This record gives sequence, structure tokens and C-alpha cells, in this order.
Amino acid sequence: MATQPEEVQAALSGSYKAGFVTNVETDTLPPGLNEDIVRAISARKHEPEWMTEWRLQAYRHWLTMKQPHWAHVNLPEIDLQAISYYSAPKKKPKSLAEVDPEILAAYDKLGVPLHERNKLAGVAVDAVFDSVSVATTAQEQLAKVGVIFCSMSHAIVHHPELVRKYIGSVVPQGDNYFAALNSAVFSDGSFVFIPKGLRCPMELSTYFRINAGHTGQFERTLIIAEEDSVVSYLEGCTAPMRDDNQLHAAVVELVALDRASIKYSTVQNWYPGDENGKGGVYNLVTKRGECRGPDSRITWTQVETGSAVTWKYPSVILRGDRSSGEFYSVAVTKHYQQADTGTKMTHIGRDTRSKIVSKGISAGNSQASYRGLVKVEKNAINARNHTRCDSILIGKKCGSHTFPYMEIKNPTAIVEHEATTSKIADDQLFYCRSRGISEEDAVSLIVNGFCKEVFGELPMEFAVEARKLLEVSLEGAIG
Amino acid sequence: MLKIENLHASIAGKEILKGLSLEVKAGEVHAIMGPNGAGKSTLGNVLAGRPGYEVTAGTVTFNGINLLELEPEARAAAGVFLAFQYPVEIPGVNNTYFLRAALNAQRKARGEKELDSMQFLKVVRGKVKAMGMKPDLLNRAVNEGFSGGEKKRNEVFQMALLEPRLAILDETDSGLDIDALKQVAEGVNALRSPERTFLVITHYQRLLDYIVPDYVHVLADGRIAESGDAQLARELEAHGYAWVREHVAPGVEA
Amino acid sequence: MQDAAAAARLPGSGLAWLDAARSEALQAFAARGLPDQRNELWRYTSLRAFAQRGYAAQDPAAATRGVDAAWLQLPGVEGPRLVFVNGVFRADLSSLAALSPGVAVGSLASALRDDPEPLRFLLGGHVADDDDGFTLLNRALAADGVVLKIAAGTVVEAPLHLVHVGVAADAATAWHVRSLIEVGTGASVDIVEHHLGDAATGHFSNIVRDISVREHAHLGWTSVQQASIDATLMRRTHIRLHDDATVDLHALELGGKLARHEVRVEMTGARSRFVSHGAFILHGRQHADAEILVTHRGRDTVSSSVWRGVADGRARGVVHGRILVQPGADGADGSFYNKNLLLSPDAEIDTRPALEIYADEVKANHGATVGQLDEHVLFYLRSRGIPLEQARRILVRAFCLVALDGVQPQALREYCEALLAQQLPEASA
Repeated sequence: MATQPEEVQAALSGSYKAGFVTNVETDTLPPGLNEDIVRAISARKHEPEWMTEWRLQAYRHWLTMKQPHWAHVNLPEIDLQAISYYSAPKKKPKSLAEVDPEILAAYDKLGVPLHERNKLAGVAVDAVFDSVSVATTAQEQLAKVGVIFCSMSHAIVHHPELVRKYIGSVVPQGDNYFAALNSAVFSDGSFVFIPKGLRCPMELSTYFRINAGHTGQFERTLIIAEEDSVVSYLEGCTAPMRDDNQLHAAVVELVALDRASIKYSTVQNWYPGDENGKGGVYNLVTKRGECRGPDSRITWTQVETGSAVTWKYPSVILRGDRSSGEFYSVAVTKHYQQADTGTKMTHIGRDTRSKIVSKGISAGNSQASYRGLVKVEKNAINARNHTRCDSILIGKKCGSHTFPYMEIKNPTAIVEHEATTSKIADDQLFYCRSRGISEEDAVSLIVNGFCKEVFGELPMEFAVEARKLLEVSLEGAIG
Repeated sequence: MLKIENLHASIAGKEILKGLSLEVKAGEVHAIMGPNGAGKSTLGNVLAGRPGYEVTAGTVTFNGINLLELEPEARAAAGVFLAFQYPVEIPGVNNTYFLRAALNAQRKARGEKELDSMQFLKVVRGKVKAMGMKPDLLNRAVNEGFSGGEKKRNEVFQMALLEPRLAILDETDSGLDIDALKQVAEGVNALRSPERTFLVITHYQRLLDYIVPDYVHVLADGRIAESGDAQLARELEAHGYAWVREHVAPGVEA
Repeated sequence: MQDAAAAARLPGSGLAWLDAARSEALQAFAARGLPDQRNELWRYTSLRAFAQRGYAAQDPAAATRGVDAAWLQLPGVEGPRLVFVNGVFRADLSSLAALSPGVAVGSLASALRDDPEPLRFLLGGHVADDDDGFTLLNRALAADGVVLKIAAGTVVEAPLHLVHVGVAADAATAWHVRSLIEVGTGASVDIVEHHLGDAATGHFSNIVRDISVREHAHLGWTSVQQASIDATLMRRTHIRLHDDATVDLHALELGGKLARHEVRVEMTGARSRFVSHGAFILHGRQHADAEILVTHRGRDTVSSSVWRGVADGRARGVVHGRILVQPGADGADGSFYNKNLLLSPDAEIDTRPALEIYADEVKANHGATVGQLDEHVLFYLRSRGIPLEQARRILVRAFCLVALDGVQPQALREYCEALLAQQLPEASA
């Protein structure tokens, strides 16, 4: 079976469905970064003094750091002085009813109708437009049972004791270059607090959208699950098609206390750039969770189809005895996308478990890497890890790479890694086609099957969305 | 020779054997039957000393010694042999090497002289022939790449070589077709002797057509619910384990 | 660590092209220094302790030191023998009388003295990007080595025996050995390399070799490393396979305090085939680092590697196995499997297999595990009467035996098996 390059190229020049720009009047800080900008961001958000200081501390630390260069990721030096660090819609909504209709329309186009979703049982939505949370639905309903689900800005002002206690406790200010930058200038993000013993009655979700040009988005999300609580959270991300690159440098921190469980799912569809590699979002994200208490559990599930460059390793620190961490990932790259993603599982407590399932699909001129670290510390008795990484290549110009690291310091550990890389099996394709399925549908079918284990981990309503997204991303991926 | 009294055993905190008592004399063949989950395999594993099985109460005396105190290898040296339900594959360990290590370790433990490799080869080749095994068995790794039937026959072959005094057959019939079943049974029957005792653990009566037991015990919910002769097995076959539940151990889940 | 004065005494000094290459390498070493752990390839191997030790630039008495005759024997290996003592070729201990026609072999030192021109292409090159501190030192200071050429079509029956002996010198000594090996078109040869030494010689041996296996040629390479327990060994083996060439590598790493072997395989030829098996068994504070980097460039190339590691005591074992498939290497089939046993609470294993794939008509797989012996298997052995400690040893031995799959001749294989058995963790016999 031969692929036909021209057709592949034609088809792969495919369609980014979320690439519209919304015309909204914004309050935007001038480009550039210095202590005054950091103070200005903090002031615009009416933050308490300690928060401003915390930001400045991060900023000063950041000044001592250099933009890292990663093997296998070709990321140009980003001119961080050319970016604006704050952009917010001018009309500040007080309630959902006051949200700028343009913004609501923007979310409608994305399939996130805030009004309707609000009425849907089972999902609460926080919408972040450029730097600011514009709408959070179902807040009252959640507040009744003690759940706090709000924007980070709101939390800093209204729940300072919680924010102060937990922020930076999983991802310290100076953790890495982009995390330090985020700590200094983060604009907004979601804050979630689930009190002791509560199973959060609905799915929580945040939709992030970068709209304004020449801005960076630096959201910061913090989720705290107290003892015996359970929460499932989903984030979705899109951005307009623009010729210049947009920077997205987020930090997500999860804290699971004793017996708590956090499930964090991501459907990332930032603009990937065009077929010539022009434009697209640099998605440089630090995500980390800590199973702080015994028997706690954190699950990361991600479907990554967008961004020009993705660099993220949602990780779990397994500190509590018998805690468990899981990572399920589908990463699809095409055009000139580069995805370098994976996870770190650090086993510290006794009887800790981790499981990693990574599925990569590369097409066009893209490069996809899995990079993972499983670390078993000296006192982590009976640690168990199983890692499975499979990759599919579609076309001759793409690359797919697997870089697992295993550092084992305890002899009772059992750590297993296996990986395969191949193209879509010709016999599978032929089998489908001989049953009358078009080649494109067959690819989609096979890739869907390939990703099934990961989609199975997504909350039901988003699994459908993820599958659709995958189909769109693969449109005409094979000739 | 084997006396089990009020044996309680659990695995991962779950009690499986709940007061099992059984007395077996030299030369007898006892069949242990029962529905899935009754504790049949647990009994075999506890007798062989498998780690992870915790004896919480009761005693097991074997020829006057307290079996439960012994390490697995010491039990083997004392004459206990478990034919595994699922014999493990041991890549890289050659059968000849393995069998000689086992036989000599047992001989040493019993204060007998160890066999040198020539003596051993003579013995083992004789057994291969007597048991109708393929000679290439000796050059292969333990159970590696063996079919289910081959593994079970290999267990019986090991039994023939190691000459235990108490042989426990843990569902040795499972997964065998009728020809393989007959071969295994012939192997076992050839080893029957007044000094050797058999505990034949099985779910089906089928095997007992070929290895005719002196006694049949029905295990249910971790205890012996009913004992009888070979006729009991045939009744079970005719009526199924539901019959046990209704007639001999009401209230037990089959 | 080394001075330029030493370089002046090196064989071949005075040859303008060689002096230039050596001096360039020395300057590059001065600039790059020893690799540190920020270098991804050295991530798990620290040179801090090594860098603090001092080594004499050479052992002046290397040409005359006595060597236990038993060290020069290896069962099943009765072909021509080349012996190096403290890095210096010893014609008196070697036996090259029985060379088959078509085999040209000699020491690097004598080749540089007698006929240097053919070496110019290999030794006169510029410093490369992938040179690190050790290969640079080797470029600058290599004083001896093997120059071996198997003529086209020559099938060498008896394996060639290559012995590296480290014996006690007046001071801990460094030596840098550079070997050049070419197996001609359609030729076939087996080489058995043996490293061994006195218990207490803390030498530093730095070996680089370039091996070219031409079209339809075959190379079998068995390396048995039993260097003294205080020795540091750095080895880099470049192997280039041309069309239809095959290489079969076996490596047994048992000795040394710090032993690193970089095997860099370039499969440029179509249908070439590389198979490797290796194992390390480490005790005490030993540190072993096996780096197997296989690059598929030609079409329909096949590589397969199986490595095993055992770490006891406070030892640390490091494995890095990378399969790189370059664009155009369609039909490549690469696999790398590494299993490790961690036997002590103070030991550590760091393993990282890697796949880098830039072509789509490929099959690439890898797997790695770190764990202990299987409980079920242990119980099976014990239930047959084998005591726990003995059962453990049987299983560890079996675990490592995979590394000897295909070692020829049989007598050598048996010798290696016995070595493995000796090296197993202390336990009652």
C-alpha cells in the first residue's frame, strides 16, 4: 500500500476548527517584563501584599535562570520582552448574564455554550478568556456542599489562607524557567477546593482560550482535595489562528490528602500552526500532583492535538503510603508540530503504584517524543510501576521517539517498561478496506482503537469530544 | 502418616480454610473434590508451604513431625511433593541441572550420598524411559515452551524421580484431553505403592476413573463436608456440586 | 591530568599529520574536560572520584613485567594471541606464528614506526562533535593498540585472542589504547577479548577502537571483562557495518571499579545485522555503565540486543540502549531488551532504553525492567527440595545466562558460565 504524498500534504493542510478571532475590547498591559509589570498585574487583581511579594520573589529568581534548550525540541529563543503579560476583556462581568455576548459567542463556537452547560446537570464550567476568568457556572450549587470552584484571582482575594498554604507547595516558584515566569506573572486560572469526605457532585471544567495577539497566557491552577474527597476536573484549550507564536506557560498543582482522589483530564487543542509551521502556540506547561496522604490517588489523562510546541510532563509525587499515580496520554502531531510530553512518577511512600500509558501518533513533518521518569527512592518499599508506550508513524517525514528513564534505589521495586514504534499495520488497513471502509476511515478506526485505553479514562462526555478531535486531526493523514 | 487437625488458613487476610481435618495413612489414595473456591488448591499450597498462605490455627503432622514449621525445601526433603496446578516456566534453567540440584539437595538433607553427574544421568535417563518422556526433555529449560499437557506430565515425571512419600496432585487433570489424562494417570498409578500416599485434588470425577481413590472427600467452604469412597465421586458427577450444597453442606456457595 | 611532554615520547611523534591531530585533541580536551553528569550520556556515571585520582602517564617497565602464564589461556581459544600488558603490546607473550593467510595483524606502535601512512586516514582526522574527554585523551595519547586487517574472502577458523592485562606497576598507571580493525568483504573472524589483572592494580585504561565490517563479512566479538577490582575502564567501540555484514557481540562485565563500555553501531549497509548480548554482575561499590547506541541507516537492517544486569552490595548499574532509525532506513527492525535484578537495599539500577525513529517502514521495540526474582519460581524450586539460597543462585545464574546465548566455542561458553557462577552473590555453596 503506497501513500500519496501530494494528497497527504493537501489533506494535512487540514482545518483548525477553532481558529477564529473574537473582537473584544481589552485592557492590555504594554509588552515587556520588569518588577513594575509584576506589581501592575498584582495591583490590577487587587492582590494582598504577600501575593505581590511572592510574585516578586519568583521574578527575581527567574532573572537568574536561562531559557532551557531541550534535546529533540526545536524552540526558538522567545523574546519575553515582546509579550504583553496581561490582557483582559474591558467589560468585567459580575455575573454570567453580564458576560460580553462576543465572548459567549466565542465559547459557543467552541462547543462550550456557557448558558446551556450551566443548566446541564453534572458539569460546572470556568471559562478563561486570555488572562482572565470570565465566567464560572454552577458556583452556587457547589458552594452549598462546600466546594470552592472559582477563578484563581477570586480565590486569592476571598480564600487567601488556602491559597497561601498550598500555592507553590507542589511546584515551587523556582522549579524551572517557565514555572518561575508563571509564578511571577500568572494572570488567572482555576481554583478548586474539595472539603473532607466530599465526593464532588459534578464534573468541574475550565475552558481556556487565548484570543488577543502578542499576549502570553500564564494561568495557574490549584486543586486541593481534602481527606476522603473525590474530584474530576477537565480542561479544554483553544486559540485563534495567528501567524505569530503565542506563549502559554501554565502551572497546575494538585494536592491529594489522605485517601483523596483527583482525576485531571486535558483536551488540548491550541492552534498548532499552519502546514508550513507558521504560527501556533508554544505550550510549555508544568503540571504536577502530590499524593500527600496515604491511599490517595492522582490520575492525569491528556489528549494533546494542538500547539506548535508542547512541552509538558504531568507528574505525580507518591509520598503517601499506598498512594497511586496514573498517566494516560494521547498525543497527535502533524505539520511541523513538536510534542515532547510524558510524565514523572516519584515513588517515596511504601506500597506505591504507578501506571503509564502513552500513545503517540505522528504525521506530516512533526516530531513527537515520550519522555518519562520512574524514580523509586530508597525507602519506597514495594513500589510498582508499569509503563506502556506505543507510537504510530504516518508518513516518511515525521519522527517518533521514546525516552524512558528508570532510577531504582529499592530492591523490592518492580518496574517495567515496554514500547513499540511502527506505522499503521498494512494488514489491518487492508482488512478494513476489504470490508468496504475507506482508507481514511480505516486509519481513523485503527487509531481510535489504538487510543482506546486512554479515551476510556476520560469522563464520558469528553471522550466523545476527544474522539472527534482525533478524527479532525487525522483528516487525510494518509493518502 | 499425615494428620491435619482443625486447619485454618488465609491468604491476604481472607480466610479460606476454616477448620479442615483429615487423616491419611501410608499407601492410601485420597481424592479431595469440591466446587471452585472451596479451598482445594489452598490445602495443597499450605501443605507445600507456599509463602503468602498464613496458617492461623490447627496442626499438620507428617510422620510425627510438625510440617508447618518447615521451610518448603525441608518439606520436600521430608517427602512432600506438590504437583502444581500451574507449573511455572523457568527460562535458562535446564531440566537436568534443575532435577539434579533438587534430588541432591533432598538426598543431602536426608543424610544420603549425593549423586555425581554420571550416576544422576543414569537414574534420570532410566526414569525418562520408564515414564515414556521424550529424551530431549532433559536438554530443555524447565517447563519453557511446554504445552499444558507436557507441563502436567513433567510434574508427574519429577514425582517419579524424586520419589516422595506424600504426593499432592493439584488439579493435575485440568486442561488435559483424554489421551493426556490417561498418560498422566498411568504415570501416577505406576507410582502407587504401600509407602506412598496420594492426595488427588480435582474438580471433576473424570480423573478418578483412572486413579481410583480409596477415599473421597468433598471440600466446601474450607472444611470437609462429606467423606466417602469412590462412589461419592460418582454421585457428585451425577448431581453436581449443587447437590453438595443441598444435601451435605446447606448454605455453602458453590 | 596528562602533560604534553608525555606526548613527545609517543610512537609516531614527528609525523606532522599525527602531531597535529594529537595536539588538536589535547587542546580540545583542555577545553572540554571530562564529561560531567549534565551530559545526557553521562547522566548516571559520576567521574568525581575518578578525577581526584592521579595516574602516571605510562608504566616504563610495561615491556618487561612478568605475567602469570595462566592468564593468557582461555578454554576453547587456541588461535593467534595478542597480549597487552599495562597498555603495551608484548610480542614475547603473544603468539602470531599460526596466522592464517589473509590475516595481517600487528601493534599500533610498530605500525606507526614502520608504515604509518595507511593509518593517516584513521588517526589523522579532526576532533569530532561526539568526542568526549576520554576519546580526546585517547586521540592525543594512544601509544599502542591492535591493527588488524582480514583480507577479503578470508574465513578465519580459530578465534583470535586479545588479552589486556593490568599488573601492578610502581604507580597507578593510565594507558590509552587505540585499535583499528577491518574485516574485508566476505571475510569472517571471531575475536575473543579478555581483560584481567592483579587484584590491586588501580589502573585507568582508556580504549577506543574502530571496527569496519565490509560487505558480506562477519565479525564475532566476545568480550570477557575481569579487570582488577580497583581498575577504571573506559571503552568506546565504533562498529560500522556495510551491506550484508553481520556482527555478533557478547559482553560479560564482571570486574573493574568503574567500567564503562560505549558500543556505537553504525548500520550503514543494507541488510546488515547486529546482534548483541551482554550482562554485568556487580558487587561492593562497583559501577558499570553499558551504553549501546545503534543507528540504522541502510535499508532492511536488523538489530537485536539483550542485556541483563545484576547489582548487589552498594553497586550501581547503568544501562542506556538506544535505537536510532534515520530517514530512509526503511525496513529497519530494531529491538533492545534490558532486564535487571536489584539484590541489595543499597544497590541501584538506572536504565533507559530509547527509541528515536525518523522513518515509517520500521519496527522498533524496547523493554526494560528492574525487579527481583519471581516468588512463584523460587517457591517451585524450593518445593522440589532446593534450599532458598541455592534456588536464588540458580535463578540469578539463569537470568544472566541469556547473555551467553550463541557464545562459541562450547569450551569458552562453559568457561563463561563458570565465571558467572563464581560472580554470583555470596551464598552458601
